[in-house]
Amino acid sequence: MQIITKNWEKIKPLEIGSYIRVGGYESLRKAIREMSPAEVIEEIKKSGLRGRGGAGFPTGDKWELAAKTAADRKYFICNLDESEPGVYKDRIIAEKNPHQIIEGLAIGAYAIGAKKVFIYINGHYDGAAEILEIALKQAEEKEFIGRSAMGSPVDIEIEIFRSAGAYICGEETALLNSMEGQRGEPRLKPPFPPVRGLFGRPTVINNAETLANIPYILKRGAKTFAQIGLKSSPGTKLFILGGAVKNPGVFEAPLGTSMRDLIYNSLYGGGIAKGKELWFVQLAGACGRLVPPAKLDQPLAYGQCEFALGSGSILVVHKGVDLKNLLFSWADFFHRESCGKCVPCREGTYRLWEIAKRLQNNDGREKDRENVEEILWTLANTTFCPLGNFAATAWQDSINLFGDQIFDQK
Amino acid sequence: MSFVQKILLKFEPKPQNLLRALREIQKENQFVGPEVCREVAKYFSLPLARVFSLASFFDDISVKKTRKKIIKVCSGGTCLMNESEKVIRQIEMMLGVKVGNDAHPKYKLELMSCRGLCDRGPVMIVDKNIFEKVKAEDVDDLIKNYL
Repeated sequence: MQIITKNWEKIKPLEIGSYIRVGGYESLRKAIREMSPAEVIEEIKKSGLRGRGGAGFPTGDKWELAAKTAADRKYFICNLDESEPGVYKDRIIAEKNPHQIIEGLAIGAYAIGAKKVFIYINGHYDGAAEILEIALKQAEEKEFIGRSAMGSPVDIEIEIFRSAGAYICGEETALLNSMEGQRGEPRLKPPFPPVRGLFGRPTVINNAETLANIPYILKRGAKTFAQIGLKSSPGTKLFILGGAVKNPGVFEAPLGTSMRDLIYNSLYGGGIAKGKELWFVQLAGACGRLVPPAKLDQPLAYGQCEFALGSGSILVVHKGVDLKNLLFSWADFFHRESCGKCVPCREGTYRLWEIAKRLQNNDGREKDRENVEEILWTLANTTFCPLGNFAATAWQDSINLFGDQIFDQK
Repeated sequence: MSFVQKILLKFEPKPQNLLRALREIQKENQFVGPEVCREVAKYFSLPLARVFSLASFFDDISVKKTRKKIIKVCSGGTCLMNESEKVIRQIEMMLGVKVGNDAHPKYKLELMSCRGLCDRGPVMIVDKNIFEKVKAEDVDDLIKNYL
């Protein structure tokens, strides 16, 4: 089932003609010439598309909120910051079919009435950024975007904005602050960006993979899209398999596919890597839940599952891996990426990192377990933004599943 | 005209260009110190504190100058599953450094956050060179040729 990766083998990213030949920019043409902005939003709402960055918020609702909020100008932003460890699917979309993102962006900008569009891209994604720059120039030459997009009175100007190494800037309000020349600290919500976003104007921020679905929805219709995957979580997802699988990489599969299927099916992971035995799986990245083998039959979809799929990373951890190294990897990441705004996260991630270092060196102390549990509670319940919660998840699951292995005193 | 001014003139002094300008200066100069921030602040008509606080926030912008050669290895879970730990230990042993420690006069070994190259890990960066699929056995050669 291909929605996102459809025709990728026929497309040359630096040749807009190859995208046009397989129907590229027909959805944008249809949107601008045959549909009103409200009709476009209605179609996206009917499709049931949910954000692919991890939160799974209904895309149509977000667009509608921005469209309904009156303002002198509005903005549309593609979130390509993608800094979650284990996740690189947005980079792949940008490198394989940049026009798919651009088309989705232009349709969104038209739908909400935004003239100014930004692609906020991870500062390390040099290759992808260059490809997008070239693609934008080509799209502008064809007058698909820019002044008078598709020959209409609608202006859609798209610019690239490169980040500078901060995971927290993937969070939409921290992203906005960094664009406004402020430290990338999150803002209080509400107000939400579609009401008050970039420079206080209505702003829609969508993940790149979310936008990559838009052209298909307008071309084949919301009903067709809604029938793929699950009713409450339609469509497909790019899953990223890593670790002890035979075929690590990015795979498109319908939402609702089980973890077991994604890991063992020859269409995807192809089973456990030779010479290794499955221990457990971590979803979503460094912030994700740990899944024991017995629970791998559970489906991955937005909304109803016991284990959140997040942005789609599936890390297969094999037996023999030293859990203390993993614990340190998680703690190291979050202590570095904590923005410092709020005390519980700034201090909590730091102390967790200190303890993780000692545990890694087999220098455990009597009160470690007690202290860690207190830090985890604080991170899970009192931080200003979800980064603190994210820092606690994998540690908490580790303690619940393997507590005695971590803290056993010699 | 200083090189900072040359870069600044490429940007309109609007807030959305502040991070862009700092990125370019960092690329050119490898560091964005207080004096540079002062010039930037003047150009954008902003307080020095605002510019410096922005510069000091991001990992890719250094507000401190260093003559040391910095080696960075990804600390992410996927690279770890592909034995990044062994690479780190090997570098520590060969250079006489400890990861995260600043004691060595010439080299500094740091952990860095995921670069989104998880399909080609472990990932290691020396100066601006990015190395992929690094194994412990490769460290000897890499050190000889790039440090």
